[in-house]
Amino acid sequence: MLAFRAYSWFLSRRLGLTLLTLWGLASLVFLMIKLMPGDEAQMAAGADASAAQIEAVRERLGLDAPVIMQYLGFLGRLLRGDLGTSIVTLQPVLADLEKVLPSTLELVVIAMLLNLAVAIPAGIVAAYRQGGVFDTTSRITAVMLGGMPAFWLALVLQYVLGSVWRVVPISGQQGYGMNSPVVTGAPTLDALIAGNFAGFFDTLHHIVLPAAVLAALFATQIFRTLRAALLGVLRSDFIMAVRAKGATARHMLVRHALPNSLNPVLTLSGAQAGAMIGSAVLVETVFARQGIGAYMFNAVAQKDAFAVLGSVMFIGTVVCLVNLIVDILQLLVDPRIRAAQLGSQGQ
Amino acid sequence: MRIVHPMPDESTATPVRAPLVTVDRLTVDMPLGRSGSSVRIVDGVDFTIGVGERVALVGESGSGKSLTARALMRLDRLAKLSGRVDFDGIDLLKLSDRDMGKLRGSSIAMVFQDPMSFLDPLMTIGDQVAETLRIRGIGKAEARKRALAVLDELGVDRAAERLDAYPHEFSGGMRQRVVLAMALVGEPRLLIADEPTTALDVRVQDQVLDLLDDVSTRRGLAVLFITHDLGVVAGFAERVMVMYSGRIVEDGDVASVFAKPNHPYTQGLIKAVPRIDQDLNTLYAIPGAPPPPLARPSGCPFHPRCDQRFDRCGKDLPALLPVGLSRVACHLLDGKGA
Repeated sequence: MLAFRAYSWFLSRRLGLTLLTLWGLASLVFLMIKLMPGDEAQMAAGADASAAQIEAVRERLGLDAPVIMQYLGFLGRLLRGDLGTSIVTLQPVLADLEKVLPSTLELVVIAMLLNLAVAIPAGIVAAYRQGGVFDTTSRITAVMLGGMPAFWLALVLQYVLGSVWRVVPISGQQGYGMNSPVVTGAPTLDALIAGNFAGFFDTLHHIVLPAAVLAALFATQIFRTLRAALLGVLRSDFIMAVRAKGATARHMLVRHALPNSLNPVLTLSGAQAGAMIGSAVLVETVFARQGIGAYMFNAVAQKDAFAVLGSVMFIGTVVCLVNLIVDILQLLVDPRIRAAQLGSQGQ
Repeated sequence: MRIVHPMPDESTATPVRAPLVTVDRLTVDMPLGRSGSSVRIVDGVDFTIGVGERVALVGESGSGKSLTARALMRLDRLAKLSGRVDFDGIDLLKLSDRDMGKLRGSSIAMVFQDPMSFLDPLMTIGDQVAETLRIRGIGKAEARKRALAVLDELGVDRAAERLDAYPHEFSGGMRQRVVLAMALVGEPRLLIADEPTTALDVRVQDQVLDLLDDVSTRRGLAVLFITHDLGVVAGFAERVMVMYSGRIVEDGDVASVFAKPNHPYTQGLIKAVPRIDQDLNTLYAIPGAPPPPLARPSGCPFHPRCDQRFDRCGKDLPALLPVGLSRVACHLLDGKGA
């Protein structure tokens, strides 16, 4: 009961902080709209609009009101989930995002899993055998991958794997005739829900390359962070004590060294989740996939300010939520953080 | 702290014991960075520890005493070991890593200097004590029961309630009991105690020493006690080995070594122990400092600091030879052997 109260107090504090951050972000977005060169009413009405049409739009959007009223109106609309209206699709931005987002989330989640699944074992082996062959080669690889522009890596892999060896499709989300009825909007999930296993494997086949390209840069960061943290932990006294108990290297690494090195990795992967959605812009464009990236890319290309800023607002919200989750995970991993954050009731 | 200076008499004569550990010409080399070269920290050490015997290994920081102890368990992954370490008839240095792992914790266990840094901060006390058993495939409930029994035996208050507490919730003395429980739960035959009292305050030091004394007597446990504190040695050990610059310079039963130290270094160490009846202004210290392992002087490594040195000391390395019931490595005693 006490523990429950401590946890809910912690959660409400963190949620409050998250809301505060989002308010700051919203204000920034509002400022960006105001500071953008050009007349908002003109942009909303379109390039060909007459002066009368522009004035009509100005009145309809409330742009003739004082700035402070516009700001409050903007915040009020945000609270109702209104991110503005796209001037290209003429749809509410939120409705547009709902269509494209599942596909992006699917890409980002798979890329994140791939990132962790490669970087964590590699980091463990490299640190345990510091200076060995694996350590040296993986560090060189990490430096090369980390310094390589994602679009270039994408093009090279498309050429080698997609065009020369033909092991994966070059672009797109699924093959012709493979699509399943849209339920969630994420092709892999939709295929599973429809029981369309051929379609499921087809979508996976399509997502491997873009997810790998997206994961590559981030995996090098996780690898280096984990390796450095592990090298410190492996030198610590309690690792020797664990070895003195007769633990195998595997047990020592998985049960003791890894949990004690996880804190910086968790923090980093939280930040990465946000950056990945940003990088998805590039990857989705190069691989001709649907998603928030392609949506934002088009919005920028067509000067669709409300679509861009709505998307920024949306990505910011996702980043804040991911960081909230990371905070909670850190609490679960480390009893000392638990004690500091929850007070004595938490134990 | 108990500073006792026992006098030799018939009752303290060392009983003859079957050897449990026999160390023969053990050397430990540590690599120097990534250069590929290495430095010899322990330079040809031999000694035995009998079944149930309590032996103290004394020396200044850097004398190689901790690395000698760790070499018995092959704990330093970077150290290169040579020589022989026989444990109950098995040469530990020839075992595979896997087989060595099986002996750690079950036949030979270790307690460490600083109980805070030697406990995993993320794991509960109960899990850490039970881990020694869990590694060997003993079931969760059984391991927990035995962990609780050992913690009770070692006087951890309300042990049953505190199995699920974390190290940061324990006091220094209680943590040292936990570390000791971690070592004892596997029922080892040899316990290596690497300065287990150094990081504790004086009152707690005494409690931990008493505890170690009780437990080793009750279990017939052989103990290799590493310390730089001669006061602790006198109260606890039966035999004392003095290390200097990677070698054993004197080895004898505690009573005779304290009554009549043979090696000038041992004499200096005993003279340097502060006594309650002594004027603080006359505290004795051996002049100079131990040589770094890369720049050991020729001949006897102690000769630059020795107040009894003569010509030969700078030329020949003295061997560890029997003198009475002890062994001493000093040219002064050549020809006085038994």
